[in-house]
Amino acid sequence: MELLLQILVNGLLAGGILAVVALGFSLVWGIMNIINLAHGAFLMLGAYLSYFLFTNWHVDPFLSVPLVFVVLFAFGYLVQRFVINFVVRAPILTTFLLTFGLSLLLVNAALLVFHGDERAVTPAYIGANFSLGPVTVPWVKFWTLLVALAITGVMQLWLTRSKTGRAIRATSMDIGAAQLAGVRVAHLYAIVFGLGAGLAGAAGVLVGLTQSLNPSMGDPYIIKAFVVCVLGGLGSVEGALVGGLVYGILEALGSQFIGTGLQDAVALCVLLVVLIVRPRGILGKATA
Amino acid sequence: MAWLRNAGLGGITGSPLAFALCCALLVALLGIPLLHNGYYENLFRGIFMFSAMALGWNVIGGYTGYVSFGNVVYFGLGAYASAFLAEHGVENVWLAIPLALLVAAAFAVVLGLPILRLRGHYFGIATLGIALAVEEIVANLDALGGGSGVTLRQAEWFPQYYYAMWLVCAASLLATWLIARSKFGYALVAIRENEDAAAVLGVNPTRYKIAAWAISGMMAAAAGAVFAFANGFIDPPTAFAVDDNVFPIVMAIFGGVGTAAGPLVGAFLLTAVNETLWSHFPQIHTLFFGAVIVLVVLFLPRGLLYLRNLRGGWRGFVRSLAAYRV
Repeated sequence: MELLLQILVNGLLAGGILAVVALGFSLVWGIMNIINLAHGAFLMLGAYLSYFLFTNWHVDPFLSVPLVFVVLFAFGYLVQRFVINFVVRAPILTTFLLTFGLSLLLVNAALLVFHGDERAVTPAYIGANFSLGPVTVPWVKFWTLLVALAITGVMQLWLTRSKTGRAIRATSMDIGAAQLAGVRVAHLYAIVFGLGAGLAGAAGVLVGLTQSLNPSMGDPYIIKAFVVCVLGGLGSVEGALVGGLVYGILEALGSQFIGTGLQDAVALCVLLVVLIVRPRGILGKATA
Repeated sequence: MAWLRNAGLGGITGSPLAFALCCALLVALLGIPLLHNGYYENLFRGIFMFSAMALGWNVIGGYTGYVSFGNVVYFGLGAYASAFLAEHGVENVWLAIPLALLVAAAFAVVLGLPILRLRGHYFGIATLGIALAVEEIVANLDALGGGSGVTLRQAEWFPQYYYAMWLVCAASLLATWLIARSKFGYALVAIRENEDAAAVLGVNPTRYKIAAWAISGMMAAAAGAVFAFANGFIDPPTAFAVDDNVFPIVMAIFGGVGTAAGPLVGAFLLTAVNETLWSHFPQIHTLFFGAVIVLVVLFLPRGLLYLRNLRGGWRGFVRSLAAYRV
């Protein structure tokens, strides 16, 4: 029982990060119909950025979250504006391949610049934890969950309340009508992709606190983000959050009872089962 | 899918001239082992391997329109079919190839039933998941050497692996040509263009897609079976190498998807460029394939062979680039 409780807590703590990873992925997918295979590369860049901020200037990783978000937002904006926008209306497979190429480029460039060795972000409080009844909770993971929840909350507010957020949602519903209402689609698409990259970067900072860094660290997260989106339902903030938390728990259960070496196999099984049993996801609507 | 629709230049087999030239080239390359030059033998064996895999990817990704990011799984299964035989004392590549074909076909049918119900993105990601999952499972199987791999004893007459890979490549090329000219090939293209319409016209999409995926996988598996012996050693990272997953896709796209000769042309050209880069600019050669994908998708979305029948010269080219802008 205590073991099960501990697994549940571990899963929830990991699920918060997955929710942030999936949120950016889900926005880009839901609004532009782009499966961004470079999402994992953005995550990796975010993790490295926070690593260098920490080792060179002793910036606390949690403080570097907004900084990394801004840098990757700018990068993502430029990528969409000057590369992806040129083929964004082409059939889905075109952008699929394009982001795949971008991902290869970024990961290999990182391999050249940062080299393949594993690194770690190690603030003083990295090993500290507290007990909650029978369950042990590492402080770092606790705070990453809180930050992750805060990020999803802010995103939800921004998407529903701000003018740009409304324009984004309008564009995803009907691009023609949005254009008639004065939405500059090229600019807006770039903002959405920037948000996706920024969120991936922010998630990368959080991921960097819980595992070691290497240039291909982001790759497994592409599939996880995809599974979380499918699980929770596509294109909504709540979907990404619920999907992330549920998937985090499933993964924790899987690594406890099936084996840690089989994480990707567990992800694939979850994906297939969901797609066959409930293709629209937990929170998805019938038409989605 | 306009970029695919226009890929078939001379009908759905692609340019007959390009195909004939490729056949001639292959026949000429039969003579390479006579040079007794290890470098050339290795180089061209590698090209045949990538050609077979690119041709395989082309059957499912190019003709059927289902982009797979996991065809390396078949390559790995083929390699492990060889390893399995070698562990049981049968160190013969000519027996390993049929076993690899069988394993690939069985795998495609069993996994194809759930996977090929998925469309577009979902299929692509699922195949990516399969590639990762199968590598993990093999790495955890002690019967197949687990994480430490399997050593295969090579035959004394080494060029037989060159000829075996040549045969795999030539057979894949011929099979692609025959498929593209057959009713089966037209059914695949119909599924690519509009799956629902194809179903209405009496094409059973599930059955055809599974067959296409199986054929696609068999080409890669046969290449993997030969590779295992030629390499003499395999473990999960070599059998399911990321490069072996990525290169064939890039080669097929670069040469021209949905044509019989395109993947082969792509494999020859890109290997040549990659080899040159590798020897002269080792620092940047790893960036090469990513850059090729990005540039090809942006500037040559229908592959190299498409340039031949582009109308309107330079201006027509520039206009075609802006077609999907926002």
